[in-house]
Amino acid sequence: MEIALKGIWHSYDNQTHVLKSINLEFKEPGIYAILGPNGAGKTTLLKVASLILRPSQGFVLINGSNFWELHREGREEIRKRVAYVHDKPILLRGSVRDNISIGMRIRGEVDESLIDYYVKRYSLLEVQRKSVHRLSAGQAKAVSIIRALVLKPQVLALDEPFAFLDEVRARILVEDLVNITNDGGMILIATHYMYKELASEVNYVIELLKGEVKNITRMR
Amino acid sequence: MTEPILSITIRSLYISALASFGAFIVATLISLHISRSKKYIDMLSPIFEALVGVPTTVIGLFVYVLLCPSGPLSFLKLLYTPYAIMFGEFLVALPIAVTYMVRHFYSARESVRELVLSLGSSDEKIITMLVLRELAPVLISSYLVAFSRAIGELGVALIVGGGIEGYTNVLTTAIALQTSMGNYEYAIWIGLVLISITMIIVLIVKLLGEYVIWK
Repeated sequence: MEIALKGIWHSYDNQTHVLKSINLEFKEPGIYAILGPNGAGKTTLLKVASLILRPSQGFVLINGSNFWELHREGREEIRKRVAYVHDKPILLRGSVRDNISIGMRIRGEVDESLIDYYVKRYSLLEVQRKSVHRLSAGQAKAVSIIRALVLKPQVLALDEPFAFLDEVRARILVEDLVNITNDGGMILIATHYMYKELASEVNYVIELLKGEVKNITRMR
Repeated sequence: MTEPILSITIRSLYISALASFGAFIVATLISLHISRSKKYIDMLSPIFEALVGVPTTVIGLFVYVLLCPSGPLSFLKLLYTPYAIMFGEFLVALPIAVTYMVRHFYSARESVRELVLSLGSSDEKIITMLVLRELAPVLISSYLVAFSRAIGELGVALIVGGGIEGYTNVLTTAIALQTSMGNYEYAIWIGLVLISITMIIVLIVKLLGEYVIWK
């Protein structure tokens, strides 16, 4: 799946532009890191690229088609291939397993063995039946990441994925992200610092400052 | 002859339970609709908040005007029946149920919508189902709050029910009636029953509140 952002501007209040004239292409499988300080517009850019947020101006082209001009069914079909992980996990009332399976239930296909695999991999076995409101910040983050991973998305966008994660889980996450790219997937990561385990796996670094792309570096 | 407290209590419970159930259903639908937009919330919430403060005697008078022999709904012949009280109590309970629900609905809808989009869908039916599931304890609490408001009101029950013994006499009208007749001891007993019911409801709401936080 190819994502192209053409002339993207975005404002939440019709006064200040959070994104200014963004032109980016995500064509090849691999890991794209969007790097920038707080308030640079990373989250907004990630949401626009993940088809969650409609930009104020500009076009989001998916395989050449203007996504926001497609009919509803067409948009839903494309959206199924994309998953997004928020910086602050959104967890609903219920157990860890309930939350992990939400995306699968929305799609009508719950693969319990895949959930078992990731629950064990991210060391959540002991808390899998517990309420999500009793989890630590790191565990909650892991739940939100697994919830996206079990959907096997072609495009996975993660906002500050390493915040709150311990070393072990962070390393496992990098492995999983690399596995997705090896299967032809694309990873978009918004982060304010380059996690050391990730640095060697990133294909492109996009530097964002005050809503503008300052630099694009091919790393590998 | 004085009517037994038990039969007054049972009548009060079923009238208020049905009236607040109706208010609960309508309030849920209104809240679901309003919570789709911050603009609707800012516009309509203050109206419902203001309606919470309308005296129940005014609502009783309004219902009376509708149901009296020269009123537009006189053909229903509901005046001085339990159904008239139910209708009035429905109007009393509706604003408080909406006010209680709508803020919860808005914040829950925002989060659920964001989550559902992040998982590759924008289906409004799925969002609504998840919002209702997420807010199940809030919905139960709002029903109990509506019930508490309905069972404790006097204005409507007196004006459109008439406090007819064995037919439309409910706990609040019975207290008023017995006090006016000088049967203070009996009125106090009925009052204690009413207070007990209200306190049990407050307790349930409090426990549900904790359930919402920890579940």
